[in-house]
Amino acid sequence: MTQDLHRLLARRQPGYTLDAPFYTDADIFRQDLDIIFGRHWIFVGAEPDVPEEGDCMTVDIGPHAVVIARDDDRQLHAFHNVCRHRGARLLHERHSNVGNIVCPYHQWTYGLDGGLMFAAHMPKDFDTSCHGLRKVHLRSLAGLLFVCLAETPPADFDAMAEALTPYIAPHDIGHCKVAHTEDIIEPGNWKLTMENNRECYHCSAAHPELTRSIFAEGFGFAPVGAAAEAQAARFHDMVGTLHADWEQIGVPSREVDHLADRVTGFRTERLPLEDAGESETLDTRVACKRLLGDLSEKRLGALSLWTQPNSWHHFMSDHIVTFAVFPLTPETALLRTTWLVHQDAVEGVDYDKANLVAVWHATNAQDSGLVGKAGAGVRSSGYRPGPYSPDTESLVEKFCVWYIDRMKAGLAA
Amino acid sequence: MTAPDQAAFAVTFTVSGRSISCGADTFVLDAALASGLKLPFVCREGMCGTCKSKLVSGQYDMRHKGGIRPRDIERGLFLPCCSKPLSDLVIEK
Repeated sequence: MTQDLHRLLARRQPGYTLDAPFYTDADIFRQDLDIIFGRHWIFVGAEPDVPEEGDCMTVDIGPHAVVIARDDDRQLHAFHNVCRHRGARLLHERHSNVGNIVCPYHQWTYGLDGGLMFAAHMPKDFDTSCHGLRKVHLRSLAGLLFVCLAETPPADFDAMAEALTPYIAPHDIGHCKVAHTEDIIEPGNWKLTMENNRECYHCSAAHPELTRSIFAEGFGFAPVGAAAEAQAARFHDMVGTLHADWEQIGVPSREVDHLADRVTGFRTERLPLEDAGESETLDTRVACKRLLGDLSEKRLGALSLWTQPNSWHHFMSDHIVTFAVFPLTPETALLRTTWLVHQDAVEGVDYDKANLVAVWHATNAQDSGLVGKAGAGVRSSGYRPGPYSPDTESLVEKFCVWYIDRMKAGLAA
Repeated sequence: MTAPDQAAFAVTFTVSGRSISCGADTFVLDAALASGLKLPFVCREGMCGTCKSKLVSGQYDMRHKGGIRPRDIERGLFLPCCSKPLSDLVIEK
């Protein structure tokens, strides 16, 4: 099977979609979980998911069950969600608040730092220090949480953090709260979900709510025809003017793209929005009256931020939307969307939740439908890899280049 | 359990309907077990939280080791295994 994978990786044609087995095959799916999700920095949530001492969050990355816990000194820790006694899963709720972490089976009791504090009925010479929870590497990127399951994680997380922290910092994730979370299961391989996110070729036809505020031109879109070219010119004028304005007030905006040339790949750019230009809402105005951090300017567009292999994010002056993708089966993936607002914002007073989530709730459902159509097509006998638009789908190509490179490196390791 | 010269308080369990005496220097769980009550417990040191119970009324002195969170205590929960009575207690158990 690994020989087949070597052959498929070697024959991937640049600029084309991947061969069908990459989207359907159970063995390649297992290699994805091992090489991509087991050895890279995986976005799992945000600090407001675990705001208080004793807060725990569970996350399943394929077969890897992980707990993120905040201890009484407010430090975050990540461990395997597996008791060192007989292997029972420790925490079952996605979010919980606990004193210590107590196995529900025989009450082995672990501190929030993962150390084993107590195990009843074990011999006197039983060494609790050898039976702490197995640690998982955890890093916070200005409040976005990443884990790496490998013993030695990719060393370039700090380079990503150095580049991206100034962009994220004005939005002050540390003082946000979770306003809403939505989990949907998309009917396609996780890479189809990611590829769909990396282009806006489909936006005009598929996303009436989203395109009220965003410009497809912000995602590598190449205009065709006079009207489209005029629109693109208007957009690029706005980018030039607004980037200068925003950077003047200390809000970094210019594009940084390391999607395909880093182990820990990423990209960001602050993009203008239509009309009022304030937020990705149906009326393009802020959905939350309480702005994030110390921001006083509503019209900051949307900072688009992506990380390989599994996340994208939109940061606006009033709210943040984060997206994490987790593979479930060869042909299904979990898309977890989280809406963050300022921790002092009051639902019903500062924001209406239905208005806050309207655009991305609708957009996710539309995207899920498209992923399902792609999934159904690539499993058909008639499927052959098809060509990407060199401009409009250049960022999809970068996802595929990154994936193929990382799989080759993983097999060689 | 209770020394003769030790002040004692009445501890009432609302679910079982039992009422026991607990010395001022005795952990509530120990007094309950000595009286034949069957309460869930494991560590007896305030770590595992297995004995966590709802206090309906009364004061106590608790020395736990992380088995209960401040927010639980604010909600009226306590750990009988590491708590001594400071008054008569009524416990929802």
